[in-house]
Amino acid sequence: MAEETLIEIKDLVVRFYTYAGVVEALDGINLKIKPGEILGLVGETGCGKSVTSLSILRLVPPPGKIESGKIILNKRDGENLNIVDLDNELIRKIRGKEISMIFQEPKAYLNPVYTVEDQIKESLLLHRKEEFLMRALDSLKKSGKETSFEAKIYERMLKKPDSILTRFLAKLIPKKVLDEEIRKEVINLLKSVGIADPERVAKMYPFELSGGMAQRALIAMALSSNPLMLIADEPTTNLDVTIQAQILELIRQLRENYKSSILYITHDLGVVAEICDRVAVMYAGNIVEVADVYKLFKSPLHPYTKGLLGSIPRPGQEFISIPGTVPSLINPPKGCRFHPRCQFSMDICREIKPNLVEIEKDHFVACHLYQGELKNER
Amino acid sequence: MYVKSKWDEIKISWSFRVKEWKFILKRISESPLAVTGIAIIFGFLIIACLAPILAPPQGPDPFIVPQDIEIATLTPNPTPPSTRHIFGTTDQQYDIYYACIWGTISAFRVGLSVIIIALLIGLVIGTLSAYYGGIIDEILMRITDIIIAFPGLLLAMVMAITFPTVLPLDITLLTLIITAIFSLTLIISKSRRKLLLAILAVFVGDLFLYIYNPIIIPLNLSKLDKVLISLALVSWPGYARLIRSEVLRVKSEDFVEAAKVAGCSTLRIIVKHIWPNTIYSLIIVSTLDIGSIVLTAAALSFLGIGAEPNFADWGQIISRSRNWISRPDLLVANYHTFLIPGIFITLFVLGWNLLGDALRDVLDPMIRRR
Amino acid sequence: MSANALLQIRNLKKYYPILGGIFKRKVASVKAVDGVSLSIFRGECFGLVGESGCGKTTLGKTILRILKPDEGNIFFDVPQDIIDEIISLEEKGSKSTKLKRLREQYDLSTFSGERLLRFRRRMQIVYQDPTTSLNPRMLVKDIVAEPLIVQGIARGEKAREMVIEILKKVGLSEEHLYRFPHEFSGGQRQRIAIARALVCRPDFVVLDEPTSSVDVSVRAQLLNLFKDLQKDFNLTYLFISHDLSIVECISDRVAIMYLGKIVEFAPTQKIFKNPLHPYSQALISSVPIPDPTKRRKRAPLMGEVPSPVNPPKGCRFHPRCPLAMDICKKEEPQIMEYEKDHYVACFALNGGMSHDK
Repeated sequence: MAEETLIEIKDLVVRFYTYAGVVEALDGINLKIKPGEILGLVGETGCGKSVTSLSILRLVPPPGKIESGKIILNKRDGENLNIVDLDNELIRKIRGKEISMIFQEPKAYLNPVYTVEDQIKESLLLHRKEEFLMRALDSLKKSGKETSFEAKIYERMLKKPDSILTRFLAKLIPKKVLDEEIRKEVINLLKSVGIADPERVAKMYPFELSGGMAQRALIAMALSSNPLMLIADEPTTNLDVTIQAQILELIRQLRENYKSSILYITHDLGVVAEICDRVAVMYAGNIVEVADVYKLFKSPLHPYTKGLLGSIPRPGQEFISIPGTVPSLINPPKGCRFHPRCQFSMDICREIKPNLVEIEKDHFVACHLYQGELKNER
Repeated sequence: MYVKSKWDEIKISWSFRVKEWKFILKRISESPLAVTGIAIIFGFLIIACLAPILAPPQGPDPFIVPQDIEIATLTPNPTPPSTRHIFGTTDQQYDIYYACIWGTISAFRVGLSVIIIALLIGLVIGTLSAYYGGIIDEILMRITDIIIAFPGLLLAMVMAITFPTVLPLDITLLTLIITAIFSLTLIISKSRRKLLLAILAVFVGDLFLYIYNPIIIPLNLSKLDKVLISLALVSWPGYARLIRSEVLRVKSEDFVEAAKVAGCSTLRIIVKHIWPNTIYSLIIVSTLDIGSIVLTAAALSFLGIGAEPNFADWGQIISRSRNWISRPDLLVANYHTFLIPGIFITLFVLGWNLLGDALRDVLDPMIRRR
Repeated sequence: MSANALLQIRNLKKYYPILGGIFKRKVASVKAVDGVSLSIFRGECFGLVGESGCGKTTLGKTILRILKPDEGNIFFDVPQDIIDEIISLEEKGSKSTKLKRLREQYDLSTFSGERLLRFRRRMQIVYQDPTTSLNPRMLVKDIVAEPLIVQGIARGEKAREMVIEILKKVGLSEEHLYRFPHEFSGGQRQRIAIARALVCRPDFVVLDEPTSSVDVSVRAQLLNLFKDLQKDFNLTYLFISHDLSIVECISDRVAIMYLGKIVEFAPTQKIFKNPLHPYSQALISSVPIPDPTKRRKRAPLMGEVPSPVNPPKGCRFHPRCPLAMDICKKEEPQIMEYEKDHYVACFALNGGMSHDK
């Protein structure tokens, strides 16, 4: 019985066509994200973790291009969509609603000329308009004004949202009740992300917010549409360590409440150990190991993972590092891309790229050490 | 051993810039408009270089357009193009062909000189303003603002008219001012005592000279020189602002601070660290103002403020056509008096503008990509 | 204060003025460093940790006289008896010319011009981002040789030899002389920056987050290099970082800063095993441990870091402190020695007694 997967990435290849050459950013990666789990995506700069996350939302900037592969999203209603082939119309329906994203520098992703409230409001109206129209109508019913002009307009907006007349009428009157409903939701959202004084913060502009508050606001916006998955691209890297602890605690709580999956991208192994259920390790555009977080830290299999874990500073010991440097992806090494730096590299590593293979239950490694005849010797 | 000769060292340190230029050239060659622009400018360069061959000068000063005396005795009217005069003549029988060919050299001369002078002034003022900040910045920028506030063409006209033809250059006064500024900066930066003493000595000696026997050198300025100077004086504020913003950007970079920590003097920081990182892109962009400078100079010449009446300058030739195109039939008959030099000006400015746009496009993404 | 101290700072203050109004008058100041006193011993690696806005970078730069301090003394390699004399004269509030003379001669905070230039040779800095700390238009050989030329130590051939020598020591080679910074990787650029800092053989080097901008796998290489160089050249480091795990491994002693003041300092082992100040405890426990079996079940520190323009009255940490008492809101705690070599500024540790006796 196949386990449920929310997102399945199959053989995804992404290339960037730059003046310096063609960058092989993603070299046919395979990844599965299960519903409700926090999957960590670990790697150094340039390994392709951000490109992976942007590909899921089809936001890879030019000169980047998704060359081949599939990204299959299994929605709640059983529908399966291949994001790579999707229409622009349909992918826009997914962005922000089924899959949302938060980024590393929160203030850069907030529009500086709009208040926090305005921006969350925009997101809510975009994705949950019908819900708020119904709520507005309900509240009008309760106060006995069902037949008012306002109520009629709301009904019309529900029934015929695209007609020109509807849109004209909607702009005509101040939609007080609707605005009030949305405002209440915005305050609730801000409260749910741990902002102590939501009314005051809602009216603030992004430049008045601290890094931690801005990130919380972004998280509120991202979760406002109850997405299936939240992609978090190094959300705490730029924050102070005490604020990072607060945000990690917040993410843990929110996972309980919202039941979304989270793809947590980071290069900090401490954060991974704190918060992730499963971990995928990336190197130079390939996924080299995927495992449960306890297994990964206790018995890492891939030499790169071992190197990463070994390079964690330990007091009283020498600093151990992985020799060599990350290769340029314009002319990556043939075969296994890690072989120039690997102490276990064999002839076959120079020729053939190892596939990601399930070695133990739920423990995948892409390394020749564990495949072929050697596998039997283990 | 990696000992490299001085020449090799220079080659290597320029290799970076050479690579940059190769990249720029490659990008430019991909744009047909840019290639057209370069071709046009190149064409004009060839004309300018071959001017003595294409239009042999007839007199001591090659920039005086020759008059055809024979036809001049017959009629003062402009004559249309013929085998005798390829582009025809203006009134008083000045050869348009000659004027256009040697006008090319004038155009380059005016364009380049104005840009160089304006850049030099703007460089000094912009750098001082940005580096020292505070009250110096305020004062210099207000002066800049005042000049920018005036409509450029009008201000240039006024300056060109009021400039004395013979400029009495008071060397002693100039030396006085320069040594005063120098010593002030040295006093403020509290460095190089010996140099300060030497300069103060020069100052005092010069003071005596100034009081008792000032040295004045009369500079003869041709009308075109006056236009040149006034255009430069009108253009420098724009560059000063540009350079100021670039210097401000570089001033706060870590490597400038690191140079201070190493103990570098202010002058060394400005010359070795700040300028190499600010002026290259600026020089490229400003070179492309040559087109508009030449156009403005031609406009001034047309208004009679520019070159002397028989000087080989495009604007001057067109200004001679003023009285001969008042009626439609005259306009058609004397088309050559304004159309041909007009085409020269148009092509010249067009070439520089095309190149300018292309370079700007190339530089922008290149800078961003890095 | 031991006689072995290479660097001793006393009550150092650095404020940044905030200008407002039409005439740009000073309306307020950012109290970046607000009364810091420290001794750093010869040959040690002194770690300075804190979060953003605590003033650690400002402190490092003020010590190096990149910034001019507003108040306080900096004694670099000054005999202890002279320091004591100056301190006693200052505490008496004397305005004698003797004090002025002594300060001009020994107190780094008053130096300028030629004096300061000569001192620059003995203290250097390595910046966080090697991309911006190297002039992109200068060859490596010129970048590294510049301090030699400016300090008048060597020129031409001799300078070249010294540059090659130091490049080899940091793991680069002669062939790198004639290249530009952008041709190197981040780790190599940082090595060039280190070579530039060490070419004059300084005594004291401020390392301002030197590994933050570099890849994780390269960090260890650089940290090992720092250790080796310290031994070879008998250097003294001030290691500024926000990454506590690195500081724990490389420093001999550590000081923790909060909002412009030092709240605790002690030998590394002591402070990480047994942090006494509530902020230190919160800070150390906030660091995520790379071991999923050791997930911390602690409540993270609440609230945001207040602005250094208007720090809270009394103890700066009191609005966020779980142990805050009445006295914490009124008085500022002084740094006192609670265990051997372990200094803390907190009222909770002396039973809430006021420091004014």
